[in-house]
Amino acid sequence: MTSPKTAHRLTRILSMLPWVIANPGATVHEVCDRFGYSPRELAADLDLVFVCGLPGYGPGDLMVAYIDEDEVVVEMADYFSAPLRLSPPEALSLLASGMALLSSGQAPEALQRAVDKLQAVLLPDARDALVVDLSEPELVAELRRAAAEGQVMHISHMAMASGAVTERDIEPWSVFSTMGNWYVTAFCRSAQGERVFRVDRIRAAAPTGETFPAAEQAPPPVVHYSPSEDDVRAVIRLEGPARWVADYYPVEVLEDAGDSLTVRFSAADPAVAARLLLRLGTAAQLLEGEEVATAHRRLRDRILARYRSSQAPAAQGD
Amino acid sequence: MQKVIERILNLLAFLLTAQRPVTADEIRMTVAGYDQASDEAWRRMFERDKDLLRRLGIPLELRPTDAWEVEHGYVVEQQDYALPDPGLSDEERAALWLAAQVVRIGGRASGPDALFKLGGALVTASGEPLAADLGADGEALGVAFGAVADRRYLEFRYRDRPRVVAPYGLVHRRGHWYVVGPEVRPESDIKVFRLDRAVGVTAGEHPGVFERPAGFRASDTIPEAPWQAGGEDLEARVVFDPEIAWWARRQLGAGSVITDRPDGGIEVVTPVASPETFIGWVLGFDDAAEIVGPPELRRRLLALLGEAT
Repeated sequence: MTSPKTAHRLTRILSMLPWVIANPGATVHEVCDRFGYSPRELAADLDLVFVCGLPGYGPGDLMVAYIDEDEVVVEMADYFSAPLRLSPPEALSLLASGMALLSSGQAPEALQRAVDKLQAVLLPDARDALVVDLSEPELVAELRRAAAEGQVMHISHMAMASGAVTERDIEPWSVFSTMGNWYVTAFCRSAQGERVFRVDRIRAAAPTGETFPAAEQAPPPVVHYSPSEDDVRAVIRLEGPARWVADYYPVEVLEDAGDSLTVRFSAADPAVAARLLLRLGTAAQLLEGEEVATAHRRLRDRILARYRSSQAPAAQGD
Repeated sequence: MQKVIERILNLLAFLLTAQRPVTADEIRMTVAGYDQASDEAWRRMFERDKDLLRRLGIPLELRPTDAWEVEHGYVVEQQDYALPDPGLSDEERAALWLAAQVVRIGGRASGPDALFKLGGALVTASGEPLAADLGADGEALGVAFGAVADRRYLEFRYRDRPRVVAPYGLVHRRGHWYVVGPEVRPESDIKVFRLDRAVGVTAGEHPGVFERPAGFRASDTIPEAPWQAGGEDLEARVVFDPEIAWWARRQLGAGSVITDRPDGGIEVVTPVASPETFIGWVLGFDDAAEIVGPPELRRRLLALLGEAT
């Protein structure tokens, strides 16, 4: 296995050569800026090119590559005059990045043109075959600006598990999207600690008028749920139609009996497990977990009470 | 590293100018850098170099050297090697570069190599703080994209069954990547496969093996709201209480009609294709939401709660 460094260096050489051939008279400075070279790295790569070429490997067979005064000169290398094609992962990665930024609605016009041109050559017969949808909830732009300007924000936020709405002052550090959701990491003044909030669960946000010094280095965002000591635990048997739960939630599989799956489910709040049990109906059975059983029963009773009280649906008055 | 790069440059120069299949033996005897090696060392060296070429995206093909097909040789076609020029301006390249900096795929930002191939970028500004991660296993995604672009079949295991799919499109929505297209054996309607649940994704050998139907749009295949994907056709009416009305409003896709109620809540009429998914979503609002119609949907929710009606 050759090292990624070698592949990277080769790619840069095979990209730099065609550009220099197409732009005679290019200066060292221009080539370095464009391909991220230091002048020394560029000189080293040109030296290397100079000793390569076609069989015979005499003066008429080798490529010519050197720096003349300040000019980069490449000759006798016509077979490298076209840039290398993009590999599928490279093509996807560039296109998807461009499309993601476009769908978020904050991209420069040049990006739209760039994406159109790339699509035309990468997916010539199927421009609609790739879709990247990363639409932003309201407040993303607002919070991003607050993070950039160091503005303290007052937010009302609904907790994921309990549904409780709290009011907080936060110092937003960064706004990012992962797994289809937008988050803001912040120092929460109310909780006196670092917190991550899902942006679509923030009902309202407004600057308090205070500012805070920009964080030197915002800590890397972690949003994946990881079970902790204080979590509520439950053992649940999932029948066939409910097996998908194991794909969506971080459960521990205790037993796979083919047609049913027994899992240990942990969550920070029993309400999470209770809601899940409720929607699974008879396809799931709670085997262990007092707290979850209680939360489940209460949730069910609350919802049934509401439906019973409107048994003759009053809302059908249209 | 220097030796490897020299050897590869020589090999590529030779293959790109040869215009005919050249046998491994000929390469060994002709191309500078291979001459000193013992049989075993040569074999290993050449295997590694071929691997490196493939990793760079250089299509190295093995073809018969003559009509008798006794010997096979290597070919790099100039037209397969070269990038079709998209004709990007410096400003457009810089915009792409910035996009590549702020969007990650599978946790990683794309490296500069792709931009180098497009002619490098003059970058003056730093990336905008978008920081989005499009998830997914970068490798499977690259394979899937290649198959979509070249119209190759895609093979993988999905829900414990091997599948052969004609990948009409690739969609990222709601945090997941989906491959969209019909199964080939046996033939099926257009289906949607979540890429992170597909195991052992490989692309078929032959390009151009299927045609997309005229007017196919990948974006139409994955609805905005999850309950809009399914086989049923209902129109649900739901009341949301004031304290969570804002939260419901944000999650409803286009196609919902939202009416304000005097108490500050909302009443919503929305198309539902998957009642289970929709009921699951409504139950997530605890007792602050209520399905008021149609009666059938209301009954199904109550039945799920164990209430006979």
